[in-house]
Amino acid sequence: MSCGNPHETDCHQVLAELWLFLDHECNRERRELLQRHLDECGPCLEEYGLEEHLKALLARKCGGDHAPDALKQRLRESIRQIMVRQAVLSAEVTVQRAEDGSIVEVSSTTVESHAWLSTER
Amino acid sequence: MPYRTPLVDASQKPGAPGLRAPPVITPRNVCAGHGVTRAVALTAQQTRFTDRETLHASLGLIPGWRVPSTTNADLGMGVVGVTSTDSAEPARSNQLESEQIEPSPEEAAVDQNETPEQRTARFERDAMPLLDQLYAAALRMTRNPADAEDLVQETYLRAYGAFESFRAGTNLRAWLYRILTNTYINGYRKRQRQPVAQPSEEITDWQLAQAAQHTSSGLRSAEMDALDRLPDSDVKEALSQLAEDFRMAVYLADVEGFAYKEIAEIMGTPIGTVMSRLHRGRKQLRDMLTGVARERGFLRDAEVAS
Repeated sequence: MSCGNPHETDCHQVLAELWLFLDHECNRERRELLQRHLDECGPCLEEYGLEEHLKALLARKCGGDHAPDALKQRLRESIRQIMVRQAVLSAEVTVQRAEDGSIVEVSSTTVESHAWLSTER
Repeated sequence: MPYRTPLVDASQKPGAPGLRAPPVITPRNVCAGHGVTRAVALTAQQTRFTDRETLHASLGLIPGWRVPSTTNADLGMGVVGVTSTDSAEPARSNQLESEQIEPSPEEAAVDQNETPEQRTARFERDAMPLLDQLYAAALRMTRNPADAEDLVQETYLRAYGAFESFRAGTNLRAWLYRILTNTYINGYRKRQRQPVAQPSEEITDWQLAQAAQHTSSGLRSAEMDALDRLPDSDVKEALSQLAEDFRMAVYLADVEGFAYKEIAEIMGTPIGTVMSRLHRGRKQLRDMLTGVARERGFLRDAEVAS
């Protein structure tokens, strides 16, 4: 379908690529071609305007929710607990490897972890 | 404390089979039961890398991304591991066949240089500020606040578990969204009580063709004005009515502003699929919103072109 006026690119083709243009997903050459069409074709520009409007509407009305503070707090606590568990795990690995005849090197990380946690509490 | 339950006798001599050739612990094994053992502890480092490689493989397209290495054992809670999606399965079996379980020197260097405290601080600094965004996305996915909280919590714990291997400088936001999506698809959705709307793939070509036609001149500005007058709740409701895959594609593109390539990575689909979902989702959404605007009396029937 065309608006009836002569264009370098057919309206149908432009409308099919409108979203690519809107989402900044076409290359520079294509973008310039579509831009030229929109500059000279009122109906296509109007259609573009509506799609652009819809995209902005969604961004404005469908985001912006805030996570509950309780969730944030719970997560922070969980993460710190996991950190300590991991430190304990690494200590066990070190000890067992020592029994296996490997180089013994007790990680100081474990000690620091517990110390760090206790000061936090 | 599951770690205290020895499966392998710690007094075994060096070179005993159980110690020298520990089984490869996959996330699924670890998640499967409560018998997390000394053997797990012994192979924990190895498990982590194995898991990470698997995660990396399942994340696939994104350089520098890794699969969350967290397991039930790490978290001490019922977190579902990365399991059984069509895309993840081949990656897993490849990994199990692979001999390469050690990290690259580069990775090892990164691991050694950062203490758990530093990593935790880095996570809190970089990932926690994105919590609101991830929660909003989870809300659009699950469509109710309680489920969204659970999903985000699971996502963040998995992300934290994998953060050791997350390479600074890569796209953290997209990485978190990928984990969110995976967590939702692989584990969460199966437990969700609310039935999931399947994407209607039967949308006919005429609907697509219709999008490529001008509507009657003069009506578009009326439509625009009508859409603007819709309350937020109507727009959110309309979005929630879209089939899940369409909904996420539209949300990621229009609300979060991700590029097609990023959406493809997050959703684990080719870019062409993303474009198709976006196309259909936006078209359906526009029709729905126009319909709601008409119901609300913001748009007279005569003004609706199609």
